[in-house]
Amino acid sequence: MLRYTVRRLLQAIPVLLGIVTITFLLTDAIPGDPVSIMLGPSPNAEQAAAIRAKYGLDRPLYVRYLNYVADVVQGDLGHSLYYGVPVTQKIAERMPVTLLLLVSSFTFAILTAVPLGVISAKRRNQPTDHVSRVVALIGVSTPSFWIGLLLIIVFSFHLNLLPATNLIMPWADPVNVDGAGSRLDVLVMAGEHLLMPTITLGTLQMAAITRIERSAMLEVLSEEYVKLARAYGVPEGTILRKHAFRNAQLPVITVVGLQLTAALGGAVLTETVFSINGMGRLIITAINNQDYELVMGTTLFFGLTFVIGVILTDLSYAYIDPRVTYGERE
Amino acid sequence: MNGTDPLLEVRDLKTQFFTAEGTVRAVDGISFTVEEGEIVGIVGESGAGKSVAASSILRLIENPGEIVGGEVRYRGETLVGFEQRDGELRERDDMLSNEAVRKRIRGREIAIIFQDPMESLNPVFTVGGQLREFIEINRDLPESEAREEAVDMLREVGIPEPVKRFDDYPHQFSGGMRQRVLIAMALACEPSLIIADEPTTALDVTVEGQILDLVEDLQQKYGTSFIWVTHDMGVVAEICDRVNVMYLGEIVEQASVDDLFHETKHPYTAALLDSMPRPDETVEELNPIEGVMPEAINPPSGCRFHPRCPDAREVCVNVHPENRAVAEGEIHPHRAACLQHEEVFRAGYWGSQPLDDAERAQRHRELTADGGGADE
Repeated sequence: MLRYTVRRLLQAIPVLLGIVTITFLLTDAIPGDPVSIMLGPSPNAEQAAAIRAKYGLDRPLYVRYLNYVADVVQGDLGHSLYYGVPVTQKIAERMPVTLLLLVSSFTFAILTAVPLGVISAKRRNQPTDHVSRVVALIGVSTPSFWIGLLLIIVFSFHLNLLPATNLIMPWADPVNVDGAGSRLDVLVMAGEHLLMPTITLGTLQMAAITRIERSAMLEVLSEEYVKLARAYGVPEGTILRKHAFRNAQLPVITVVGLQLTAALGGAVLTETVFSINGMGRLIITAINNQDYELVMGTTLFFGLTFVIGVILTDLSYAYIDPRVTYGERE
Repeated sequence: MNGTDPLLEVRDLKTQFFTAEGTVRAVDGISFTVEEGEIVGIVGESGAGKSVAASSILRLIENPGEIVGGEVRYRGETLVGFEQRDGELRERDDMLSNEAVRKRIRGREIAIIFQDPMESLNPVFTVGGQLREFIEINRDLPESEAREEAVDMLREVGIPEPVKRFDDYPHQFSGGMRQRVLIAMALACEPSLIIADEPTTALDVTVEGQILDLVEDLQQKYGTSFIWVTHDMGVVAEICDRVNVMYLGEIVEQASVDDLFHETKHPYTAALLDSMPRPDETVEELNPIEGVMPEAINPPSGCRFHPRCPDAREVCVNVHPENRAVAEGEIHPHRAACLQHEEVFRAGYWGSQPLDDAERAQRHRELTADGGGADE
């Protein structure tokens, strides 16, 4: 297992290098000129040349690429032209917000979807199953930003129950949070702020996971080894929890891993709807301002998140199914 | 319970599958008994209903299948019992509840070995763990003792280095070794009856021979009764005491193994025996049974075997023979469902016109042409 983990991590290195390369080339291909945005509509030729020289934009593509890779390897993602601070600093500032949103919505999605899918499979073609399938179908076919807007209209605008904008980090210092006197206040406020964005981003995940959980459980429940367990008097509850559940999680994990990509896209929309200053809005600002180093930095971050997701998927596979690491000598 | 009662008694058992194409009468009123310490064979082609019959005994039939009639009694307990009441077929009051069958019968009294050793073990749990769990459940042993018992049992069925192999996963075992594990599971629960549902079909011939030898040894040692489901007459000859031959959901012949092979009373059994490859015959001399078995959705009229039967006569198209005692046997009479036994059936077989080949082939084509996808 350890050997497998190490090998999997090493395999990620070329993937990351590929992401850096593609990101760099794509950013270079974006039409428009960052210098002209910085200097306004009628730039002075000398100033422009000076800026180009300062940021190395006057050098050939391959030199810039090699420099960039060398910088990235050392942890330097360059300098944001728009914000005037290092890209890493900006990402460090925004990343916790988006991670909080992602973790929270995936927790919500998994905690609701897994039991729902299992019950659905257990009571196949009974009313409970029909209800959960309809819910899942609505969930996968409703755009997340629409759910967000609807929640804001109902719970913020009409009922005035929940805040419609921003997030508060649960670990924030109470002194820096308006209207919070204690740690508990901060936690409550963080929860209130997080609730609607979580549902907005998590519904799609929830629906997708419910569907795969149901079909995976149905498939496993018809396996010969489940029939064997029944034939040996294993109680139905134990069959569901132990004999069937673990096997059924393999396809579920794959879907959760893939949903991570979808969720990154969803985070951009969710952050926009709820005016949350996370990675999603950062990447949009970067693109709008042709802040090319920030665009590259944020894209790299999203790529890295995805790669980590894939590795976690693979490791979970190996943990659940002994056949995956078979042949690895420890 | 007295000494003369059979261990298991199946009477007029009927199991049907309700599919979109129609009702499949997979098991259509079969009766047989299993005595203490006996190995009873159920033999027939694929789709004859053998496996369904085996699963029905433990009430393991799942949707869309259902046991719709008959009786299964085991040591005075009613595993399956239906009766006609108010014009409706209902479960009898003395029929065990699902919970009682699960707790008291499955594993503990009657264990089953399935056909495919590759699919019958859960790939994500260790082989020993699965064996241990079944022992814990069915023998009320604490975990540590169940573990010891499991290791002993693995050794008993011929798994080398059982202590080491205990923590291996199913994919680290060969097919033959997995089948040994499944046999260990069945024996370890100390049941009085083991239903073996084609346990050697998926194995190589050499491995099959080893497994059969193993089962014979263990059967002598523990005195366990067996129901051995197979399509292989060779296996029947090697291992069984008595045999039931199934065709399209019915038992067409029932006899001791010697009588079945030497005093064959049903043309289907004769055809099965004739189709067995023998070392003194070439492939050209092999005599396979004509055609394929029709679907059990819409079985042929009269005798269900008549479209393929070389001895079929006009009367066979119209009269349906149930199996009756046609000769004496050692303990049980030799039973067969064939109108040839005029002295028992009195249907006028010998006075009836033989079906000619063309006519029979035509009837067989009609029956099998529109067959749906339903299998046993």
